[in-house]
Amino acid sequence: MRQWYSVVCVTGVLAVTLLLGSACSKKNIQATADAQEGKAPVVAKLEPPGVPAKPEPQPPKITESPSEPPAKPEPEAPKTAEAPPEPPASASKSEPLTGFEPTPKGAAPPEEPVSGGTVVAKVEPSESARERVQEMQQEQAAKTTADVAGTQLEDVYFGFDSWKIMERAKQTLELNATWLKANPDMKLTIEGHCDERGTLEYNLVLGEKRAKAVKHYLAELGVDAGRLHVTSFGKEKPFCHEHQEACYQLNRRGHLVGRAQ
Amino acid sequence: MNLKLLAVATCLTVGVGLGQLMDSGAADVFLEATRGEFQKIPIGVLGYRDNTMVDGQARRVVDILKADLRRSQVFTVVDPPKSIQLARFDSTAVDRGLFTRAAENGLAVLVWGRLGQRDPDMVLDSYVVDGLLTQSSDADTVAGKRYVGSPSVLRLMVHRLADELVFRYTGEPGIARTQIAFVSDYGGGRELFVMDYDGYAPRQVTADGFLNLMPRWSPDRRYLAFTTYRGRNHHIDLVELTTGKRWTLVSANGMNITPAWSPDGAILAYAGSQDGNAEIYAMDTRTRSTRRLTDNPAGDFSPSWSPTGREIAFASDRGGGPQVYVMGADGSNVRRLTFEGDYNTAPTWSPRGTWIAYVCRTKEQQLKLCLISPDGQRRLQITSGPGADESPSWSPDGRHLVFSSTRDGKSHIYMMNTDGTDVERLTAGGTYHSSPSWSPV
Repeated sequence: MRQWYSVVCVTGVLAVTLLLGSACSKKNIQATADAQEGKAPVVAKLEPPGVPAKPEPQPPKITESPSEPPAKPEPEAPKTAEAPPEPPASASKSEPLTGFEPTPKGAAPPEEPVSGGTVVAKVEPSESARERVQEMQQEQAAKTTADVAGTQLEDVYFGFDSWKIMERAKQTLELNATWLKANPDMKLTIEGHCDERGTLEYNLVLGEKRAKAVKHYLAELGVDAGRLHVTSFGKEKPFCHEHQEACYQLNRRGHLVGRAQ
Repeated sequence: MNLKLLAVATCLTVGVGLGQLMDSGAADVFLEATRGEFQKIPIGVLGYRDNTMVDGQARRVVDILKADLRRSQVFTVVDPPKSIQLARFDSTAVDRGLFTRAAENGLAVLVWGRLGQRDPDMVLDSYVVDGLLTQSSDADTVAGKRYVGSPSVLRLMVHRLADELVFRYTGEPGIARTQIAFVSDYGGGRELFVMDYDGYAPRQVTADGFLNLMPRWSPDRRYLAFTTYRGRNHHIDLVELTTGKRWTLVSANGMNITPAWSPDGAILAYAGSQDGNAEIYAMDTRTRSTRRLTDNPAGDFSPSWSPTGREIAFASDRGGGPQVYVMGADGSNVRRLTFEGDYNTAPTWSPRGTWIAYVCRTKEQQLKLCLISPDGQRRLQITSGPGADESPSWSPDGRHLVFSSTRDGKSHIYMMNTDGTDVERLTAGGTYHSSPSWSPV
C-alpha cells in the first residue's frame, strides 16, 4: 500500500511540475502576456476629464484625464508672469487607436485625419524672466568670489563625496568670518558645488550639505546665520570642465557670493 | 481513506512547491519581465507605392515604419522573399495565395500600401493581411487604414500606423507616438526640451537662461513638472506644453527637487529641504496641501511611485552612501532594497511593477544602470563599458529605458531595451543633454 502511494505521489509531482513548467514557458513567449505578478494594471485607470483652468489666475487643477479630447480654447487663459497667453492648439494626449477596418478588394480604406501630435507652444522669455536671469548670470559670472565687488571672501574646497570642513578650509573660513563681521551690511549666498562623478540628484543633495557645513562653521565663528543663505548647484554649474582630478577638486567647492543688503 | 487523501494532498503541495522552484530561475523571470526573448512576430513590409510629386517620400515611410516595428520589440522585420511581390500596391493586389506563400516563408503579417497627395494633405493608405484575417474573412478582404494629414505630420502618420499594428497583436498601444522630455544646455542655461521617442523634432519648452532640471510628465501628458532655480532657491514648476503657461507648485525655502507624479496624477512626491535637510514630501495637486513622508537626518530624495500607487521607492544616504529604499505611499514601512555596492541611487519603478531601474556604481567606480526586483531577490547590471550612465526612465510599455550617458564623451540621451541591448543614441549635436523622461502613451 505504502509503495503504491509513493508511486502515485512521484507521478503526481512530475505531472504538476510539467504542467506548471509548460504554463510558464508559454507565458514567456506570449507577446500579449501581461506582467506575471498579480496582473497589476499598467497605470491606474483614470477618471474622465476634470476641467482645464478656470478664468482666474489660479494654477490649473491637475485632472486625471487620459481620454480628454483636444482642449477647447479656454474662456480666458490665466496669465502668469512667465507665460505668454496663447490659445492651446490641442491637448498633447495622443489620439486613441481605433484598429484596422476590413477593406474589400479594390476599395479605399476608411479615412482617419491625423494632426498635431504633441504640440509645444513657442517659448520666448518674458521681460521679468530676462531681468531675473541677468541678475543670476551676473552673480554666476564671477568665477571666484573675490571678483564680486570688493569682497575679500574666499571659496573653500572639499574631499571626494564629502562635506567635511577640512583644515585648510577652516583657516579660509576664519578669515571670511572676520571680514564678514567687519562688513555687517553684506549678505552671503553659499553655493555648494560638486564634481561630475555622482548622479545629478545625489550631487544636488551633497552640494546642499556642503553649503550647510560652511554656513554652520561661519555661524560657529560668530557670523549671524540670518545673513547666510545656502543653495546647491550640484554638478550643474561646474567651474572647470575637464574630466580629471585637478578639475574635480576645483568643482568640489563652497562658493561664497557676497551681496550688499 | 483519510490516509489516501492526506497522501494526495501532500503530493499536490510538494508538486506545486517544486513547480514554483523550477519556475523561479532568475533567467526565466528576467525574460518574462523584460520580454527580451519572447517569440517576436515576423512581419514583412512589402513596400509603399509613391504617388507623390516628391521623390523618396514612400521610401521614408517604409524606413520609419520598419524602425518603429523593430523598436516595438513585438515584431521581427523580415525582408520578404522575391516570390512575394505585388504588381500593385493597393488592395486589389491581395489574394489568398499571397498570404499562403508568405506563411510558407515564415511571415505572419504582411503590410503594404501607397502614399498619395490630396492638396494640401498627404494620404497614406495601408493594408494588412495576416492569419487572423484569412481565418475570419473572405479572400477578397484585407485590413486597411487611410491616414490623411499635412506633410508636416507624415512621421506621426507612420508612427500611428506602427502603434495600430502593435495594438492589433498585443492589445496594448505601441510607443511610437510617445515623447521624451529632457534637459539641454542652450543659450547659457539649462532648458527643457521635448522630442519624439526616436529623437526627431526637438522642441524647446523653457527659455529662462538659467537652471531647469528633471522634467517629469503628468500622467495625462499635458504638463511637465520640473525643478527651476529662482530667487536663490530651487522651486518646482509646472508647464502646460500646448500653451507654455507656467505655475509654481512648490516654493518652500531651500531646495525642492526630483518631482514624481503618482500614477493617477493626484499627488506629486518630491524632495524638499525646508525642514533642514532633504526629505520626501507629498503634495495633493488639487488642494496643494503638503505632507512630509520621511523623517531622517540623512538626505532622502528621488521618489518613484509603484504603478499601483501604494509604494514609493526613493534614494537615501541614511546608511552612509546612497541606497535605494522602499516605503508605503504614506511613509510607513521603510525597508532598504539595495545592498550590493556603496552607491545606488535614482530608482525608477517599471510600469508593470516588476522591476526598479536605478543607477549603480561599479567596483571600477563607474555609474551604470541596474535593475532590481521590488522584493530585492534579483539584481542585474544592464549597462557596461565606458562613461557614466544615469537618469533612467521607462517607456510606457516597460520594454525600453531612456537614459543619459557620457559614453561618447559629451552627455547624450540614449534608449535601449531593458536587457541592455539595441542601444540607440537619440540626440545628435549640442554639448550637454540630460535628465530624460519618457511620456505616457
